[in-house]
Amino acid sequence: MSVSIRIVIFSFICALPAGYLVQSLLTGNLGANPAETLIHFTGDWTIYFLLLTLSISPIQALLKPKWPIPMHLIRRIFGLSAMAYAILHLSSYFTFDMVFDIQATIEDIYERPFILLGFVAFILLIPLTITSTQGWQRRLKKRWQQLHKLVYPITLFGIIHYIMLVKADLLLPLLYLSIFGLLMLAREAIKLKHRR
Amino acid sequence: MKYSLKDFDVTDEKLFLNRRQFIRAGVAAGLSLSAFPTLAALNFSANPNYQPNLKLTDSEHALNYNNFYELGTDKSDPPRYAHLLKTDNWKVRVEGLCAKPQIFDMDDLLKIEQEERVYRFRCVEGWSMVVPWIGFPLSKLLNKVQPDSSAKYVEFISILDRENLPGQKFNVLNWPYREGLRMDEAMHPLTLMATGLYGKELENQNGAPIRLVVPWKYGFKSAKSIVTIRLTDKMPTSSWMESAPSEYGFYSNVNPNVPHPRWSQAKERPLGSFFKKKTLIFNGYADDVAGLYKGMDLKQYY
Repeated sequence: MSVSIRIVIFSFICALPAGYLVQSLLTGNLGANPAETLIHFTGDWTIYFLLLTLSISPIQALLKPKWPIPMHLIRRIFGLSAMAYAILHLSSYFTFDMVFDIQATIEDIYERPFILLGFVAFILLIPLTITSTQGWQRRLKKRWQQLHKLVYPITLFGIIHYIMLVKADLLLPLLYLSIFGLLMLAREAIKLKHRR
Repeated sequence: MKYSLKDFDVTDEKLFLNRRQFIRAGVAAGLSLSAFPTLAALNFSANPNYQPNLKLTDSEHALNYNNFYELGTDKSDPPRYAHLLKTDNWKVRVEGLCAKPQIFDMDDLLKIEQEERVYRFRCVEGWSMVVPWIGFPLSKLLNKVQPDSSAKYVEFISILDRENLPGQKFNVLNWPYREGLRMDEAMHPLTLMATGLYGKELENQNGAPIRLVVPWKYGFKSAKSIVTIRLTDKMPTSSWMESAPSEYGFYSNVNPNVPHPRWSQAKERPLGSFFKKKTLIFNGYADDVAGLYKGMDLKQYY
């Protein structure tokens, strides 16, 4: 199987959760609070894809697997998927919670720290999305690396955004936070090892 | 407000009689009644004063989308783990500042005339429903124990069963769940002890076998699976006040003008619908209850 076909299949797999959501929407299987299901589901998958993006380097260093497609492409597709789910997340919030009211949305961002944090995370994702191509990577050279380190605060903000939303059921967001912490620790460990 | 008899009322009546015969047969055969906890059908009549012209929420939603942290924090946990809540031989202890503290079993409580009332229900999270509760006014129960004049508040304590209830294995809240009302709120005719929903006994995920319903307050005030009701002279600290005092106050009246620190309360999303509608002050019961809070700053006493 050629690499380009594998890339298409891989991208398709990343789109499956969204496909499942559309199917549930069309068959009316989104439950008692369908808008909330849409918002939470897309938010969850944004975090999953951010964590997957961050897990590629540690997996490479620890397991040195034979990737089905080039490692940097896997990371790029995961990153772009995170952005795609973030767009779905933001637009379902804007549609169903804010009912396309721009002023109400601005007020919501202004009044609620957790909305602000989620919004900042989204804004920070935009330059990473735009510069995700190889052309930009070449043009920015070392700066590209520096710029794309923004994915750390983005993921952290996303998880804190979730922590601030829940009432008392912190189990899942704290699980994500610990995975994030482990991935960051792994990065530091790998760096130390390389220095030796 | 007209009430038209629904199919399930008729069916239930028949079932009720059949079940009675069956239970009698069972007793005759030397079987204990508690072996058939689900057979005790409810005998109730619709109270025409509480049948507003509102569209009922689909029962599927009210039965499958629940906050009942004793059974888990996800909305789908309560129906999934409902079987772990043991409701046989349930007793409700009514104690504290009263002349006749008593322990009631479910038979005692079901002897109080059961009526059906359609109430709005608004969750602090911003969703809402319209459901037909079955039960009796809490005042009827409190009057049985003859509260002292020194009793100013009523505390409600829910089931504690760490061994069986999956949510109580974690200290998500300081178990058991506790809630409270001021005496006049507790004695208000709208305040209901519910034993049924949609013509049937309460399902476990909805707070079986007996729960509180205070329709002008956010849903969490309406404690589920109650085991103790205590009359006191001090304002009880509810589990949510303890967990997040800046977010959950003692009163927790539905109020679109007082936002929750993390989200607006101006609108609500009826279960089953995509879009929100405006929330009414006191959840639409202002004519009945606004007087209870005359002169109080509802921003301060949230």
